[in-house]
Amino acid sequence: MSRELSTVVCADADEEHRSATATALESAGFDVVTASSVDTVEAALGGDVDCVVTAFRFPDGDGFDVVAAVRDRHPDCACVLFTSQSLSELPRGGREQVVEYVPRSVPDARDRLVDVVEGATAEVTQAAYPLPENETERLSAVRAYDVAELSAEATFDRLTALMTTHFDIDVAFVGLVDEHEERFVACTGANWRTLAREDSICTHTILTDEEMVVEDTHEDPRFAEVDRLDELHIRSYAGARITDSEGNALGAVCCTDDEPRSYTRAELDDLRRFADEVEEQLLLRRRLGEERE
Amino acid sequence: MSLQGDAVYEFENLPLEPVETGTNLLVTGPALGGTRELLLRLLLGGDAVVIITADTSARETLSDFERLGGSAPGERVRVVDCTQDDGDGGEFVSAVGTPADLTGIGIEYAGQYESVYARGYDAVRTGIYTLTPLLVYSDDVRPVFRFINTVSSRIRTADGLGVCAIDPEAHEDRVVGSIAQSFDARIEVRDADAGVDIRVRGLPDQPREWTAVPALR
Repeated sequence: MSRELSTVVCADADEEHRSATATALESAGFDVVTASSVDTVEAALGGDVDCVVTAFRFPDGDGFDVVAAVRDRHPDCACVLFTSQSLSELPRGGREQVVEYVPRSVPDARDRLVDVVEGATAEVTQAAYPLPENETERLSAVRAYDVAELSAEATFDRLTALMTTHFDIDVAFVGLVDEHEERFVACTGANWRTLAREDSICTHTILTDEEMVVEDTHEDPRFAEVDRLDELHIRSYAGARITDSEGNALGAVCCTDDEPRSYTRAELDDLRRFADEVEEQLLLRRRLGEERE
Repeated sequence: MSLQGDAVYEFENLPLEPVETGTNLLVTGPALGGTRELLLRLLLGGDAVVIITADTSARETLSDFERLGGSAPGERVRVVDCTQDDGDGGEFVSAVGTPADLTGIGIEYAGQYESVYARGYDAVRTGIYTLTPLLVYSDDVRPVFRFINTVSSRIRTADGLGVCAIDPEAHEDRVVGSIAQSFDARIEVRDADAGVDIRVRGLPDQPREWTAVPALR
């Protein structure tokens, strides 16, 4: 099988059902971790998980508790409810949960479950944010840039330091947008390492070839409810996308501040120049690395 | 009933070329007028149909669907009703009761989808009319993105057809723009003197210029 082995957590308090479901998933080529309670699911979430298949009743909670634990740890991990509980018996989950569902009552239910899990693990399918059209190619493009290996950190640190004084802002950073989170490869003014994609404004910046400006996060319906931005004191934002030579969006070069603010056209042109510099550095360093090999 | 590798969804009496299976279309247009009828017409054909209705009740939606030539609710035609209408539609109509319960809507939708699938209908057309109440009832847009991504990837991987409507006037452009990202193409609808015009962005071989829809006169 050419596909990378995806890990599925299979949670069911009933041993017979759990083992039958795990066997069906294993036969389909998944790496399966079993769990019999909400607690054991939580323990299993420490590793890489691509999908969680959960029954409804557990001695220490229910299927929605499982989903809540998953969303807490891996916000965009696919969750599939697989239960014989009739729909009317299910208490309603929180609106933020949204899961896939396969009733155990349909004929060949485990085959259908495998189909749904295969669909759900082929790409990020339960993301709480918009995804670029060419996400698969974009992600392989991002993986091709190992910033540590390219020794670009010091250069980027200098650029972000220049940006904070140039724009008179709290924080400037270079962020690469990975599959599940944004990774800050250089950051002046704060000590940020990563941010979940659903909380990151750059998630939206990589979708547009124009500079992205959020003058006041509290006034923008896409970000007004994102508590994490408040925790990071991000009240205003300006970002310019960085791409590779094929046009794949890798991430963004950005300014943030704890006060609402606007950016003039001239400032955005400068931001674009900083982003062009980062793009060129990445490209040149990668070429240099390839020539050395 | 099984789909072949090169299977497509065809649209009768509409100026649209067939689209590949797994396609998700966003229909944007004014709340009233031609948008709703266009959405219902896109669901016509011999395939199974699951409609999520949030703006108009299941009863009203189904009666319009039948008037346009669609089948009555049954093995092949299902509805998830998210309005507060308490009409009893039987097993083929699920009532969720509020557009705020995205988890409930998603589960009822998947349940109806699985039911038609289990009866051998591989080709399923999904209609959502409209996304607007879902966005209005949710303070945070992120759960709505999650809902749309979950439904559209089910449609993509199950070789279905998805048609979702949204009233662009009811939301900020930047929100509609982000929502549109989850779809393969956008069908814009506008009221014209003699009826309704549409144009398509995002798919080749479809009308890019405003084109009259004679069926919607």
